[in-house]
Amino acid sequence: MQDSVRIGILFSSTGPYGAIGRDAREGAEFAFHDYRAAGGMAVEPVYFDPHADLSAYLEGARSLIRDSGCRHIVGTITSAARKEVIPLVEKHDGLLWYMCPYEGFEANENVIYIGGCPNQHLIPLFDHLLPRHGKRAYLVGANYVWGWEMNRLSRELITNAGGTVLGERYLPLEETAVQRIIDDIQEKRPDFIANNLIGPASYAFLEAMRALGERDPAFRPENCPVASCDLQESELDEIAEGAAIGQLCAASYFDTLDTADNRAFKARLAAWKGGDRKVSCVFASAYTAVRLCIAAIEAAASDEPGRVRQSLLSRSWPTLFGDMRIDPATNHAALPFLLGRINAARNYDVIAATPPIAADPYLTGTTRAAAPKLRVVS
Amino acid sequence: MTKTPNFTGWKAMILSEEDGNCERLKRQLHLLGMSVAMQWRPLAGEALPDLVLIDADRGWDELLPWTADNPLRPVVGLLGSEAPGRISWAIRQGCGALIAKPVTAAAIFPALVLAVSIHEERMAARLREAHLMERLKLRPVVHAAMARLKSERGLDDDKAYAVLRDFAMRRRVPVEQIAAFFLGGSESLREAV
Repeated sequence: MQDSVRIGILFSSTGPYGAIGRDAREGAEFAFHDYRAAGGMAVEPVYFDPHADLSAYLEGARSLIRDSGCRHIVGTITSAARKEVIPLVEKHDGLLWYMCPYEGFEANENVIYIGGCPNQHLIPLFDHLLPRHGKRAYLVGANYVWGWEMNRLSRELITNAGGTVLGERYLPLEETAVQRIIDDIQEKRPDFIANNLIGPASYAFLEAMRALGERDPAFRPENCPVASCDLQESELDEIAEGAAIGQLCAASYFDTLDTADNRAFKARLAAWKGGDRKVSCVFASAYTAVRLCIAAIEAAASDEPGRVRQSLLSRSWPTLFGDMRIDPATNHAALPFLLGRINAARNYDVIAATPPIAADPYLTGTTRAAAPKLRVVS
Repeated sequence: MTKTPNFTGWKAMILSEEDGNCERLKRQLHLLGMSVAMQWRPLAGEALPDLVLIDADRGWDELLPWTADNPLRPVVGLLGSEAPGRISWAIRQGCGALIAKPVTAAAIFPALVLAVSIHEERMAARLREAHLMERLKLRPVVHAAMARLKSERGLDDDKAYAVLRDFAMRRRVPVEQIAAFFLGGSESLREAV
C-alpha cells in the first residue's frame, strides 16, 4: 500500500518539439509545488522522459503504471505518442490526461482531453479570418497527421464558404528550407495563410514571411496574416527578433490574459522560479491537467480511475481557463477561444475571445452533411 | 477534397446480444450523433436503419433481410474469431468493414466510414452494371437498325453506326434508343429541311 498517490508525467524534453515538452513538464512541476504550498494529501509526481523516441513512450507508460504504480498519466504532446500510450492505459484501466490541442476524431473513455479539438480552435479561427481577410487562402502544415488533418479541414471550411485554396504545402518539423513555398505564396497572392507547421519549420516560415513583407507590403501581417493554431509563447523566443510581430495565433490561454486568476497565478509562479517568465498555453494546460487530476482524486477520496473520472465529470472546476466543465459524453473540456496577435515584447495581445465552447471531436454539429440518402437498389 | 464524414441523425442497428462490446459501441455511436437500437433477432425488411452492425461471431443467415449480392445497407461486422467460416459469413452479409473484439473506441469511426464508402461504391457499381446490361440487351436492335441503314442508303458498317451515333447525340438519347425509334418508325434519321 503506497502512502502517497503517484501521478505519472510523460513529456519529452528533447527533439523537434522539446521546447513544448519542457514547457509542459515545468507546468506539471509547478502544479505539484503550488498544490503542496497550500497543503493537502500526499501526492508525488513520477517523471519519465522518452526523449522524442516514439517507442519509449510505451516503455515509459509501462514503467509508470507497472513499476511506479501510477494510475494517472499526464502527458504526450503529439497524437502519435498519445496513440502509442492509449492501448496500455486502456488495458490497465488508467486515465491519460492529454492537454495539447489536437486534430480531433477521438473520444476514448480512458483519456481526459484538456487541449481542445478543431471546433474549439481551427473553426472559430476561420470564422474570424474569412469575413475579415478574404476567402483566398494558402495552407502550410507539418508533414504528419496534425498538419494533414488541420489542412484537410481548413480546405473544407474554405470551400464551404465559397473560397479558394491557392496552395497547400507540407514540411517536416525540422525542415527550414522554406523559400520555394514563399516564392509560391508571392506568386499566388493569398488573402491569408493558415500555418499548421510545427517547430523549426514554423519559425523559419515566419521569418521568411517577414522578409517577404519587407519586399512587398501586400504580405505584411495586416494585409496577409499568418494564422497558427499552435504557436506557444515559449516558442516566440526561438523566432528571430521582431519577425513574427503582427501574426495571429488561436489558443485557449495566453500569458497576457488579464484576469485576477491569471495575475495571481503568475505572481505565485514568479515567487517559485523568480523572474517574469512567460506562460504558454501548454504550460497552463499541463498545470491545469495536474491540478484537475489531484482535485478529482481528492474529491473521489481515491485514485481509482473510474471514481476519479466520475468525480471529475460531476461538476465544473475553477481553472486558468475559467470555470471548466468536462463533457461526460466525450471526456473533452469546454474551452474558450482566444485569438492572439504577436506584439513587440514577443508575447500575444488578445484581440478576440469567446466564452467556453463545448468540444465536438467528431464535428457532428459543425460540418453538417445532408441526412443520409441511401438509395435502395433492388 | 475529403469531406468530413458526418453521421448526425443516422439510425444504427446493432444486431447482437448485450455485452461490454456493445456498451462501448453505443457510447461511440451516440457521440457521433447517431441514434442506436439493438436487438438479437432478424431485422425486418421494412423501416431499415441507415447502418447495421452485426455480431459476426454468432450471427446466422436469416438475421439480415438481404442476400449476399445485394446488401441494402452498409454493414459492419463485429468479430473476435479468426475462423475462416466466420469471416466468410461476414462477407456474405455484405460487411464492408470489421471491428475486432474486444471493441476499442478508436476502431469504430474508421470502420463506419469504410463500410459506408464501400456500400456507396457497390451501389454505384450496381447501377452502372444495370445500365450496361440494358445496353447489352439492346445490341441486336442496334445491329438491325444498322442493317436497314446499310441496305436502304448503301452505307458501310462504320457510316451506318456514325448516323446512329450522330442522331443519338443530337437527340441526347442512347444509341440503342435511337435505333429502336428508327426501327419503330418514329425517327427517320434524316435532317429536317
